Amino acid sequence: MTELWFGIQITIYGMGLVFALLALLWGLLALLVWLDGRRRAPAATPEGATPALEAVTAAPGVRVRGAGVEELAPEALAAIAVAVVAHASQEQPRGWQTAPAQAEGPAAVDRWVAAGRIRQTIRVVQRRRG
Amino acid sequence: MNVEFFLRLAQGPLNLTWQGLVMLAVAGLLFYLAIVRGYEPLLLLPIAAGAMLANLPLSPMLGEEGMLTVLYRTGIENELFPLLIFIGIGALTDFGPLLENPRVVLLGAAGQFGIFATLLLALALGFTPNEAASIGIIGAIDGPTSIYVSSLLAPHLLGPITVAAYSYMALVPLIMPPVIRLLTSRRERTIRMPYSQRPISKRTRIIFPIVTTIVVGTLVPFSIPLVGSLMLGNLMRESEVVERLTGGASNELTNIVTLFLGLAIGSTMVGADFLRLTTLMILILGMLAFAVDTAAGLLFGKLLSLLSRGLINPIIGAAGISAFPMAARVVQRVATEEDFENFLLFHAMGANAAGQIASVVAGGVLLALMGGG
Repeated sequence: MTELWFGIQITIYGMGLVFALLALLWGLLALLVWLDGRRRAPAATPEGATPALEAVTAAPGVRVRGAGVEELAPEALAAIAVAVVAHASQEQPRGWQTAPAQAEGPAAVDRWVAAGRIRQTIRVVQRRRG
Repeated sequence: MNVEFFLRLAQGPLNLTWQGLVMLAVAGLLFYLAIVRGYEPLLLLPIAAGAMLANLPLSPMLGEEGMLTVLYRTGIENELFPLLIFIGIGALTDFGPLLENPRVVLLGAAGQFGIFATLLLALALGFTPNEAASIGIIGAIDGPTSIYVSSLLAPHLLGPITVAAYSYMALVPLIMPPVIRLLTSRRERTIRMPYSQRPISKRTRIIFPIVTTIVVGTLVPFSIPLVGSLMLGNLMRESEVVERLTGGASNELTNIVTLFLGLAIGSTMVGADFLRLTTLMILILGMLAFAVDTAAGLLFGKLLSLLSRGLINPIIGAAGISAFPMAARVVQRVATEEDFENFLLFHAMGANAAGQIASVVAGGVLLALMGGG
């Protein structure tokens, strides 16, 4: 009975300590990531840059053509980028997310997971916005 | 040619014991699991070979200068091998998913409950506190941590504890799904979680292992060897300035040490010591520890899901154990069985990485509470 009581004490102290230490680690990690985000925020949109345009031109399979594209407002370009991505995802035939075979290599699996993540994020955001 | 001469020639077969024969059969089973079923072959195959070599009659491998004895003294008695493996694991582990979503670190803590539940059960079954703690550490689901802690607290139980830890780790894909299905509803399993897609800078990735080592090491000095080795490997990986060392640690060093570790562990499975009721109890308790870890992680995941109003899928809690990245893959598999387009892998990887850290923290805490043996 004494040893069982000892075990209960060890369990309470042990789980308490593990939770306390990891909660502290959580706080530190959150602080690190927050500081990281603060540092990156100003650098992400340098003066004169048009990130929306870069996003559009960087998207795979998207070509921005025509005179005066650079003169479009960043908001307009962002809207075009979202529309292009949404359209592209609708155009995919059913079952396009079929998992690649292991034989196709880890890179193919990574691309499949990445595509699913992006699609899932877009859907959740759209649902939240109603 | 007299009788004595023939007896000398036949001393091998004459010294066969039933325990030795049973252990050769056990080695055969481990060979089968490793080669045919593909269960953790990197470790189970050397363990099986060590067990076979140790149980052959009059094996010189176990003599004073025998290879298995030398390997045991070199790397197990002084806990060197598990720590070297931790450097390799650190070099192989990407803590990015954890840094992108730091709150999942708590899922790693919940996933350690199996350690203490098993410790309680072992005490109830009559094991001494040090033995119970060593058996409980199987619940860390972390081979090197199990070896490190049990070699300090109960070295005489090292063989069965290691075999249980590594065999069950290979059985994670079989143990976890039924527990997940039992404790969660279909609706919970189909919850989709958004991704933050928060970019993590190289600076943060470098600072993370240093801060973790300092904080955890300062608060729980017993965990310094474990967390220090793990984070050293990760620092080498993230700094990208010692790619040769990173490659060496994650490949050559880990491979060589795994071979030596397996052989040395196998050599502790000598029939006369291994074939006891204690071993059977340790194997059963180890299995229970795995199931309790999964259940505790799931229940904590359910709590977080409730607190977040359904934004967190509770099954990622099951990945808050140290079997990296197998546990996360199992969670993803269970999720896609219900909903093919549910991508939980990245979240589960975060919980799994947290489980990696939590297991070394729990190992250090346990050593501290038990007075380090």
